Amino acid sequence: MTVEPETDGTLIQRSARGRPDAFVEVVRRHEVAVHGFLARRAGRQVAADLLGEVWVRAFAGRDGYDPAYADARPWLFGIARNVLRAHWRARQDANPAADRAEDPWDEVVDRLDSASRAPALVAAIAALPPAERDVLLLVAWEQLTPAQAALALGVPPGTARSRLHRARAALRLVLAEEKA
Amino acid sequence: MTTPDPVTALGYVDPPPPGVLDAARETLWSAITREMLTTDPSDDQTVPQTARHPSPEPRARRRQSGPPDPGS
Repeated sequence: MTVEPETDGTLIQRSARGRPDAFVEVVRRHEVAVHGFLARRAGRQVAADLLGEVWVRAFAGRDGYDPAYADARPWLFGIARNVLRAHWRARQDANPAADRAEDPWDEVVDRLDSASRAPALVAAIAALPPAERDVLLLVAWEQLTPAQAALALGVPPGTARSRLHRARAALRLVLAEEKA
Repeated sequence: MTTPDPVTALGYVDPPPPGVLDAARETLWSAITREMLTTDPSDDQTVPQTARHPSPEPRARRRQSGPPDPGS
């Protein structure tokens, strides 16, 4: 007889009902993915600095988690995104001359090892509206479904799907022109 | 083997060194410990009576799965 592992939702619910240490298993399951989310967008050093803050915020907010959602990744990526935006805002406060506090895309691509091998793709992604880019990258980089990306971003699923559709159409156009 | 989507391939990053994950978990353990020390188990009406009594298990699990002792 095989025993199904507890879902993230069950563990989070248990951690909110007298067993806070149950939350650690959720962290173990997703720590590499959440670190990757941060590292892709802010570099490995910032990811290392912010990862603990993501866990503390998630732990503090676990009472509000709906255990019906078995996979906690969308929730965790949403928290990581908020932590990252706060980090960028704080950095801008320290240096008001910097612009695009919450969307420093140029810095993101500078940090990606593979960016230099795909300049047209990088330019096409950079040209996307940030809302479309957010959905595209949650699906392509974090392997979320469009519905999960919607959860992470706090938008309706239909909105996420249409943003993803527009983003992919724009990229296809650019890549087709590059091949021609 | 399928070729990864070019956008997916663009986002590749190496996995973090274990020390980074351990340090972040240690931050979480501090928050967990704070909560365990400050919460009166009798306040939680959602926990069955049998589960409200202090149990040695959290401490045992802390030893088993928590970050390494800084002194070791």
